[in-house]
Amino acid sequence: MEKLDNKHLALYEAKGGIVGVDGSTNRVGGAYPHFVEVFQGLAKSTLINEDPIYMADIHSPLFSDIPKNILEEDAKKEKERETKNRLLSDIEVKVALEAAKKYKPYGIIMDGSLIRYYIYSYDLWMELRNECEERGIILLGVIKDIKTTIIGEILGEVYPEFKINAYDRELLFGILDYGEVIVIEDEVNSKKESGYSSVFMRSSLSPTVIGMDIIDSQKPYLEEMSRLVFTLTPENSRGVPLWLDLVDKEVQISDAIMKNLLERYLDRDIYERFFVSERARRTL
Amino acid sequence: MKVVGITTQQEVFVGSRTRNFRINEFIIIEDPQQKELMGEVVEAHTFNRYIPLNIGGDFIDNSVLESLKSLGYNIDEETIYIGKVRLLNEALYPVLTGSDIRLPKFHEVKDLMIKATKEEGLVLGTIRNTDDMAVEMDQEFQNLLYTYEDEGLCQQREIPFILDLKSMHQYPHIGVFGGSGSGKSFGLRVLLEELMQHNIPTIVLDPHFEMDFSETASYFEDKTLDFTDRFKCLQVGYHVGVKFQDLSAQDLKNLLDAASNITDAMNNAVDVLFKNRDSFQSFYNRLRMLIEAQEEGSLDKIENRIREADNEEERKAWIERRELYLSYDKTCPYSSVRGIMWRLKRLDNEGIFSKDIREIEEGLQSGKLIVVQGNTRILQVFSTYLLNNLYHKRRDYKDSLYKNTVTDYFPPFIVVTDEAHNFAPKGYNSPSKSILKEISQEGRKYGVFLILATQRPTLLDETITAQLNTKFIFRTVRASDIQTIKEETDLTVEETRRLPYLRTGDVFISSASMGRTIFARIRAAITSSPHTENPFDELKNKEKEDEEKFMNIIKDKLPIMETDLIQLISEIEKEFNITFTKDTLEDRLKILSQKGLISREETIFGYRYIMSNDE
Repeated sequence: MEKLDNKHLALYEAKGGIVGVDGSTNRVGGAYPHFVEVFQGLAKSTLINEDPIYMADIHSPLFSDIPKNILEEDAKKEKERETKNRLLSDIEVKVALEAAKKYKPYGIIMDGSLIRYYIYSYDLWMELRNECEERGIILLGVIKDIKTTIIGEILGEVYPEFKINAYDRELLFGILDYGEVIVIEDEVNSKKESGYSSVFMRSSLSPTVIGMDIIDSQKPYLEEMSRLVFTLTPENSRGVPLWLDLVDKEVQISDAIMKNLLERYLDRDIYERFFVSERARRTL
Repeated sequence: MKVVGITTQQEVFVGSRTRNFRINEFIIIEDPQQKELMGEVVEAHTFNRYIPLNIGGDFIDNSVLESLKSLGYNIDEETIYIGKVRLLNEALYPVLTGSDIRLPKFHEVKDLMIKATKEEGLVLGTIRNTDDMAVEMDQEFQNLLYTYEDEGLCQQREIPFILDLKSMHQYPHIGVFGGSGSGKSFGLRVLLEELMQHNIPTIVLDPHFEMDFSETASYFEDKTLDFTDRFKCLQVGYHVGVKFQDLSAQDLKNLLDAASNITDAMNNAVDVLFKNRDSFQSFYNRLRMLIEAQEEGSLDKIENRIREADNEEERKAWIERRELYLSYDKTCPYSSVRGIMWRLKRLDNEGIFSKDIREIEEGLQSGKLIVVQGNTRILQVFSTYLLNNLYHKRRDYKDSLYKNTVTDYFPPFIVVTDEAHNFAPKGYNSPSKSILKEISQEGRKYGVFLILATQRPTLLDETITAQLNTKFIFRTVRASDIQTIKEETDLTVEETRRLPYLRTGDVFISSASMGRTIFARIRAAITSSPHTENPFDELKNKEKEDEEKFMNIIKDKLPIMETDLIQLISEIEKEFNITFTKDTLEDRLKILSQKGLISREETIFGYRYIMSNDE
């Protein structure tokens, strides 16, 4: 795979630039249900430096939208994780949608697999998908930690005697050359039915492999987008495009910010009563 | 631009997203609760949060940044600029974080920067990093000088540094410190040029024969200022010397010691033999006769000489010698007297005793700069005598004013010396040290000031260093000297850390009269030192010159047969009065032919040198 040259990139600039989207979450407090979670999503365009799109949401089991008895223990942990994932993917899709409308970029690179949005925020995601298809905005997900088992499964089918039981990331570690790409045939892609096409790529000198998802209608752009990601990834990095790293860094909600926010906007009594864990008071 | 971070009453950090800060820049902090506070940037940093210094972690390569730039994102825009600012005057309360910052206007800093007008002070250079403020500077401070930068001679762009001459009375004496090549001698030269322009009587002790002001520097196209009438170079022993009658025993011993180190015994012998108001002749005769007497060996033999004298004169002479022998032989051993004798002769041969210092006095009286030249040893001793003499003349005059007696007028003056650690060394005694020390301690009252330059402030006497109220500190690399500077000046830690990296001609000026340290650049000197030619250029030029000379001699003699060399030598000797041996002539012809200036060809009779073809 070749890197894109600057002329090519200038073309992207002319067509509206590239937007990076990432979300972040942080929580303050102790165990369930005494905590507050803050979600933040950011869409940042390479073109327009001022006024990036931020969105935030807040959640605490104590103040849930759904009326329920918080003392009921059943399946609450599972529920909570789901709520968290839902809120985070919601907010990411929301900023992406806003960015698509506001910036009209050439492409949007999302941090993480697109399948998350399909699972957790189906309605919003479909809206974004339609919007992008209509406007011709390429939608790409970059997965830093691939969790699929596509290759392992196929190997298992072909050589059943080996009883292969491994994740793709384990199998591909150090196998690909710098810049080498595996395109996954749609027939074997488990994400197919959700409407995605995927590739694996070694994008830096580090032996790990990253994954990329694109919506199936835009599959012809997959190679071009892979090259873009490859171009934007520093040779000696972990394999993540620098732009996503920058967005990630800006969207991050630090512990200090969380603490300050709560101390400032919450009544001290409520704050101390509900959200300060014993652990946080430890000084030794 | 805002105040950021935790502040104190003395120091704050300021941050900006657009403007880089410079060290030694002045800024004004508009604290809403206190009045405007003025501060100076003492440290400057830049920082980009996306390009972290993360050893072992991800390293962002240039190609990716380039690519991002093509996509319309410039990572440099994320750079933030941070400066550490020290307030000139302590604030009553810690500065409010978030206060706005602006650059001062010229009139706001004028009192801080400029203490004197051009007429009242020495225009020595520019204050660095003040070009922003200098834009609205008053006419009288503009275009006073040129600076010499990397790109050549530059018009003045910054606020001038003018050393207030009158404040010397309150804060006397100047020290000029800096390693070799740091611009110290240049700084001294500029200082002296200014003194000459003000017609200040000045004595320069110049062991390097470099303080000549008759040549205009090559970078000035037209002769802007002529100093020829304002200074005078005088060489010890040639133009000026010591008046023997004025010498004290101590002076004489110092002088002899300068000729060659003297022993304790000789020291003692001088004390015994030297009489006040001795003339050179009388002292010399006394020594000579004593030696002759001692050479006889014993009193008996001298008595013999007296008895056997041919005439009355000789008899008288020997009686005199007997007297000397009787009074001095016990205390003055023969070898010591001999030692004194030959040292005295040596000094006399150098001409020291045949001249006096009248020319220097006259020069000072008429407000000139007098450069006294000589080798270091002689200069050390001569300066002792000279400074003692002049200082006391000035002192007598001043004292007589109080006592209402009449003494000749003698003007106040400034004493300047390079390599001052030779004249007033720390740790051991040198003849000139005591007078320099005296001037440093009480010269102020009599209007006698010192300007001492040295590359080793550590080796300079501490009492004197302590009296230097204004210090020019050029680049210094030696750790021990930096330590001394740290102790002796009000330079901050940050500033001393910069000392080894200063550019040539950049200087910290720590002055009691200014109350703070100023970072300045010395202006371009109008005149140039006679030692500026590169010695390697000199070698090249000399070689070329010799070649041309030789070429001229033999040009008409070409072609030259190898066999005719002897005859050629005698011809040259006759015509040019230069003698070659056969070998040297042959050598030089060979060299010329190697360089292609002439060619050498083989004939049946041997080699023949002819004019080169291309000529």
